[in-house]
Amino acid sequence: MFIYEKKLQYPVKIKNTNPALAKIIISQYGGPHGEIGASLRYLSQRYSMPYPELKAILTDIGTEELAHLEMVGTIVYQLTRDLTPQQIQEAGFDTYFVDHTAGVYPVAASGTPFNANTFAVTGDTIADLHEDLSAEQKARLTYDNILRFADDPDVRDPIKFLRAREIVHFQRFGEGLRILTDKLDSKNFYAFNPSFDK
Amino acid sequence: MQFAMWELHLFLDTHPNNCDAARKLEEYRSRAEALRKEYEEKFGPLNETSRETSRWAWIRDPWPWEREAN
Repeated sequence: MFIYEKKLQYPVKIKNTNPALAKIIISQYGGPHGEIGASLRYLSQRYSMPYPELKAILTDIGTEELAHLEMVGTIVYQLTRDLTPQQIQEAGFDTYFVDHTAGVYPVAASGTPFNANTFAVTGDTIADLHEDLSAEQKARLTYDNILRFADDPDVRDPIKFLRAREIVHFQRFGEGLRILTDKLDSKNFYAFNPSFDK
Repeated sequence: MQFAMWELHLFLDTHPNNCDAARKLEEYRSRAEALRKEYEEKFGPLNETSRETSRWAWIRDPWPWEREAN
């Protein structure tokens, strides 16, 4: 089960409204490399994980991604406080505003709503863990691209925290992959799928 | 403190035999309880397991996404 804790994993306190930046950052809320996809990917993959270390790391990282989802939602929310009609138009935020006003909806920066097609649950331990390593890199590069556009230090600070977490998660998944391969047939990792074949 | 504990917790998922990390986590855990109590006395309950059970204390603003909470 899950228990909510009434605080953010890392503080977000943004003074200046900036809908143009919110429009980009929302991609990490509902985009192809975003936090909701990350959380659903890991929390769904864990059912077919064969070893305790792998069940644990997917559960814990999948849980932390929910805390990151809340942080990204908070950044978008705070960047869109007290909007004026002029700000909305100048920032090109009108195409989002018409459907969602200043609500936070899981959508990519390009306008595509969140879709589970952005991730996979293959039931194959090797394939799933490689997907997870790749997912952490894709989230990292998206934060790197966000940092190209964000010059407000109030925004850069929590984004840098989130970027650093992707790197830590990549490391933990790499260790998970090694734990897995140590238990497989060293002459042929693909001889059997430990998630399915007994 | 809570973040350091979380980081150790993740590390121990893939290194369950690492005594140094487990010891460090234990040390932080013993210190965290007092800090959590102090925080909750100042800012209100963190979740439903908190000592403060007043309904008003739980629903009180600010919520975590609001600037005033951070």
